[in-house]
Amino acid sequence: MSASGRYRYLFTPIRLGPIIAPNRIVFSAHLTNYAEDGLPTEQHAAYYAARASGGAGLIITEEHSTHPTDWPYEKLIHGFDPKVVPGYRRITDAVHAFGAPIFAQINHNGGQASSMYSRLPVWAPSPIPDPLFREVPKAVEPHEIAAIVNGYARVAEHCRAGGFDGIELQCSHSSIVRGFLSPATNRREDEYGGTLENRARLLIEIVGAVRQAIGPGLALGVRLCGDELIEGGTTIEDAVTVAALVEAEGDVDYINTSIGVATATLFMIEASMQVPPGYAQYVPSAIRKAVDLPVVGVGRFKDPLQADRALADGVCDLVGVVRGQIADAEFAAKARSGHAADIRTCLSCNQECVGRMGLNRWLGCIENPRTGREREPVAPRRRRRRVVVAGGGPGGLQAAVSAAEVGHRVVLFERRQRLGGQVQVAATVPSRAEFLDLTRNLTSAAQRIGVDIRLGTQATVDTIGELGPDAVIVATGAEPHRPSWAGDLERVVDVRDVLEGRARPHGSVVLVDELGFHQATSTAELLADRGCTVEIATNGMVVGQDLGITLDLETWNVKAHAKGIVQSVDLVAMGIRDEGDGLVLTLQHHPTGVEVERSCDWVVCSVHQRPDDRLWRDLSGGRLHVRRVGDCLTPRRAHAAVIEGHRAAVEL
Amino acid sequence: MPRLGDPIPIGGRTAPSRVVFGPHETNLCRGRAISDRHIGYYRERAAGGTGVLVTETASVHPSDWPYERAPLAEQCGPGWTAVADACRPWRTLVLAGVGHGGGQGSSAYSQAVLWAPSRVADASSRELPAEMTTEEIGSVVEGFAEAARLAIESGLGGVEVDAGAVALLRQFHSGITNLRTDPYGLDRLRFTGEVLRAVRSSLGDTGVLALRISCDELAPWAGVTPDQAAEQVDVLADLVDLLTVVRGGPYTASAYRPDSHVEAGFNLELCRRMRTVVDGRAAVVLQGSVVDPDAASGALERGDCDLVEMTRAQIADPGLVELVREGRSHEARPCILCNQACRVRDNRNPLVSCVGEPRSGHETTEADPVGHDDRIASVLVVGAGPAGLECARVLSSRGHRVRVAERSERVGGALELAAAGLGSRRLAHLADWLAAACERQGVVVQTGVTITTDDLDRARSEGLVAVVATGSRPVPSPVRTDGSCRIIDALSLCAAATRSSTAATDLEGPVLVHDPIGGPIGVRVAEWLAVGCSEVGIVTQDQVVGTQLSSTGDLADANTRLQRAGIRRHLRAILRGVHQGEAVLQDVWTGERSTVTCATIIDCGHRLPEDTLLRGRHQLLRAGDCVAPRTILHAVLEGRRAALAIAGGVTDLANPLVGAAAP
Repeated sequence: MSASGRYRYLFTPIRLGPIIAPNRIVFSAHLTNYAEDGLPTEQHAAYYAARASGGAGLIITEEHSTHPTDWPYEKLIHGFDPKVVPGYRRITDAVHAFGAPIFAQINHNGGQASSMYSRLPVWAPSPIPDPLFREVPKAVEPHEIAAIVNGYARVAEHCRAGGFDGIELQCSHSSIVRGFLSPATNRREDEYGGTLENRARLLIEIVGAVRQAIGPGLALGVRLCGDELIEGGTTIEDAVTVAALVEAEGDVDYINTSIGVATATLFMIEASMQVPPGYAQYVPSAIRKAVDLPVVGVGRFKDPLQADRALADGVCDLVGVVRGQIADAEFAAKARSGHAADIRTCLSCNQECVGRMGLNRWLGCIENPRTGREREPVAPRRRRRRVVVAGGGPGGLQAAVSAAEVGHRVVLFERRQRLGGQVQVAATVPSRAEFLDLTRNLTSAAQRIGVDIRLGTQATVDTIGELGPDAVIVATGAEPHRPSWAGDLERVVDVRDVLEGRARPHGSVVLVDELGFHQATSTAELLADRGCTVEIATNGMVVGQDLGITLDLETWNVKAHAKGIVQSVDLVAMGIRDEGDGLVLTLQHHPTGVEVERSCDWVVCSVHQRPDDRLWRDLSGGRLHVRRVGDCLTPRRAHAAVIEGHRAAVEL
Repeated sequence: MPRLGDPIPIGGRTAPSRVVFGPHETNLCRGRAISDRHIGYYRERAAGGTGVLVTETASVHPSDWPYERAPLAEQCGPGWTAVADACRPWRTLVLAGVGHGGGQGSSAYSQAVLWAPSRVADASSRELPAEMTTEEIGSVVEGFAEAARLAIESGLGGVEVDAGAVALLRQFHSGITNLRTDPYGLDRLRFTGEVLRAVRSSLGDTGVLALRISCDELAPWAGVTPDQAAEQVDVLADLVDLLTVVRGGPYTASAYRPDSHVEAGFNLELCRRMRTVVDGRAAVVLQGSVVDPDAASGALERGDCDLVEMTRAQIADPGLVELVREGRSHEARPCILCNQACRVRDNRNPLVSCVGEPRSGHETTEADPVGHDDRIASVLVVGAGPAGLECARVLSSRGHRVRVAERSERVGGALELAAAGLGSRRLAHLADWLAAACERQGVVVQTGVTITTDDLDRARSEGLVAVVATGSRPVPSPVRTDGSCRIIDALSLCAAATRSSTAATDLEGPVLVHDPIGGPIGVRVAEWLAVGCSEVGIVTQDQVVGTQLSSTGDLADANTRLQRAGIRRHLRAILRGVHQGEAVLQDVWTGERSTVTCATIIDCGHRLPEDTLLRGRHQLLRAGDCVAPRTILHAVLEGRRAALAIAGGVTDLANPLVGAAAP
């Protein structure tokens, strides 16, 4: 059996109109915030080229705007500006060098936008404000509809001139076409509103105009939303009908799919690990039954086997793997060559990809320090030096891998019997299990590249000194830090005490959260599952405030409700006392200054830790070159450890 | 007695007036360098008479990248030179703002750990910084010195060192954030002293050294109190030429430049006290929502300060100082302290601007409305809201004949109604100013006149140019109800309140404020009602009330005020309807339903365009809410653009592709 023989369908070519994709793995459209001044950049070219080089069968770029009234976020590519063409050419040349076809997605976001950047009224079918942007749009008049259609055609022409092999019309999760298709946002009484045929009129006009602009030589695809997941919105039945209408026009070569509305139900578009893999398969599946065109399926396809199975099951003809290829640009090549186990699997943690997008920052990845920096040269190989890494959490593991990759000889000390550090701890909560992929990937990379891993070995000045290293990277992590109000009561513990099994709270538990992320919410879930009565009290205005950007907030709240977890906000812990039959926690409601008390059996603290920097202190001032990375510098989240570990290693 | 327009010697230089344009975030940078947009922005203020202009605070060290478009001093040389050149004709004293945000910065852009005196998490971002080593402290001192050298080389008059509400230096001053036990903790001013001495030696003989210092962190349990600040100022006064007294700290960063909920001139007492301590060793600047020229003059005359920082007032009207000098300060466009367009520390990187003067921050892209046209048009403006009045104001100032027809008995439109109805006097200043400017310039404003489509057609056939600015109307039935409760839209409530002082108490309670927008209106309505009604609740689909207020700095404060006023917040709730006097609320995520008794609902939701005159007439010039109901800024901007289109000879929408009239 050939190496790729494990996959019956994944690596077979497929025709999309005039274009043949060499395999079924699509790097579907997604925002990157790499644009500058509305133009594509060198980083765009390097980013897509890395995925083409990594074996993707088809690349579809992020959206290009078709009209000046469309500018919902700062770093949108202004496809309507002829100045984009050289940048397009740079992208397509870079991708074509690796033989992959590349399509451009073109779009007008319609009412899912604001006038913040454009200083022009926002356009939509009807004056119904978007739930996120909350700006009343202008209901477009007939001459404006004509301008929209012309805009698509003009941008398609720019894309053709820029060397793209095809065009995809985003009509799915953030689009004026979606706005027209959806009964929730289209209340028009003219020939563009009312029946589904009327609501699809704009789409059909755009398809015709774009096909005319690009001619027969380029592929044309339409991306449809299969289920908006909003009240009165488009459902799968409508989507199937629209797909059939589109096919009947004869101008379109494939259908791409999506689920949800970007500004209302984003958590189902870029679903985190809280949502099961393959959750959106019913969309392509239903559409594929109704049309003969090739259909692309998307939605948390994490590994090649899962993708191949979807093809085998007839769910779809191509598989969109976005985050999987953000995390590992060589996803396809590794699968094809029989090295699927080497793939740096996406965690669906959403911290540095989706999370940064929502904050207008460039796209990155929690476990891939190269993502977003593809344009920068790869660290050159170095003169071989002896490097000791102390600590086998994400920072230490990444440091060890990156140091070995540039040619150093690396010994890694981990005082415990297992690697993974706090990632391993966090992933003990069942709903956070996929987080473990972070250090599982790193561990297998470290083993593969020949890092000398010494488990159960405490790194000390002496044990390090014995190896005579040229440099030491200290990644010894952090330890829980008892807040001053907690005194020394045994039943006041840290989340890590719970997750690491040192404490087993029971009865009623109050979780005091000052971090606003998964630490408190996942521990609360675990305790509720174990039968505890749980309340989270936070000093913030909401519980789990940072879960919003990773799109975990919705699922957390649904689960919290189901598990009876009480959420209390604006509360500052002031003190605690033991009354023999239980604890009494005093909290101050800081907006009003009112003090309240909670009687409970246990209190669990989710608060900032302190660095375990004893080794660093012992080593500093000596002759050795010593760097601190991750939590032992100051406790933060995993991405900081990974980036710092990588940086320290390549800068040695 | 010193006046605002008088020059004042500072250090080895002289400022042409006593009005300061302080440093503030603009997002005008290109990368991290001062841009041509900055130049345009600062030039207008210099030309308008600013005495001391401090450029946007630049990071003095690469460890500081607090927001994406924050200037980095080492990249600012050419930009500072260009600012110096642009302001030279007016002899403005231009200082480079230099600073380091420390633990109040962000690691998102540098992807590197934050530096701070101690490992104390920032109260709002919750990011945990690393405690700076002595070497790192030394490198920041050197960064300040290097930045000062560059500022002088670039032709600026000196620098202003930031130890204000968001600053590493202040973090060293404060017992909240400085827990060090080394010499930098034992003497919390040590670091700042080192910085100021290093900067002084970079500045040479005539360079001005200014310091912005927080003199009250509003956290008396551990933060800098006015008493401590007096001691600190006493020590530092010998080292500087100019000292700006500000307030705010880790828990109260929004207290530095709050919106109109905080009384204007709130630092007066603090400033007076610090000036006594300084005792002539340095010039002292009053800061803190000083927007009224008379109040500023008063502070100078009483000797509360030597200069007055009027940053937002000059964002609203760049020509403020010249108008004051000419005795026409009442003609200055007022700052209404709304913070809606000028407060731009926001991930989305909005450009600094002003709801009343939308050209601010856009000097290089929006046309200057000042000018005179040879070809004079006769113009009929329908509607005397902010869009119509701005259109009329600009046209009349350029020599055109303008008549404004207003259906109601009042001018000012929704802006005036909201201001008068909710008792927000300051909001009304802008509407009053627009009306007064029109009156001064001879615009004919007729109230109580309804223009029909026939009237419009007739006017146009007689050669008049028409502009429609008819505002908005409420959504007919925003909430499903069986008739068991009364539903009033927010503006109608405001209108009732302007007619009757008992409008709030006349409402049958309990009252539920329905606020699906989360902007300033819902909160204001709820607070206003709570004064007169016993039971007031507010419904939002969000997790907190007033989510949009994060951009004005009022989000946390608004939620605090609501809770203190006993207003019940129904969070993450959809108002499904009212049945037999019970409002049905549904949780946005769990779907769980609950009910709350209510007799009256005030709908603060979105409105619809009042576009009756526009139907089927897409060529008509139009502006503001009749295009799509939005904000004051949109109304003013579009009113002005319509005026400038007419000034350019357009009589109908020459380019209908971009909606409202573009210049």
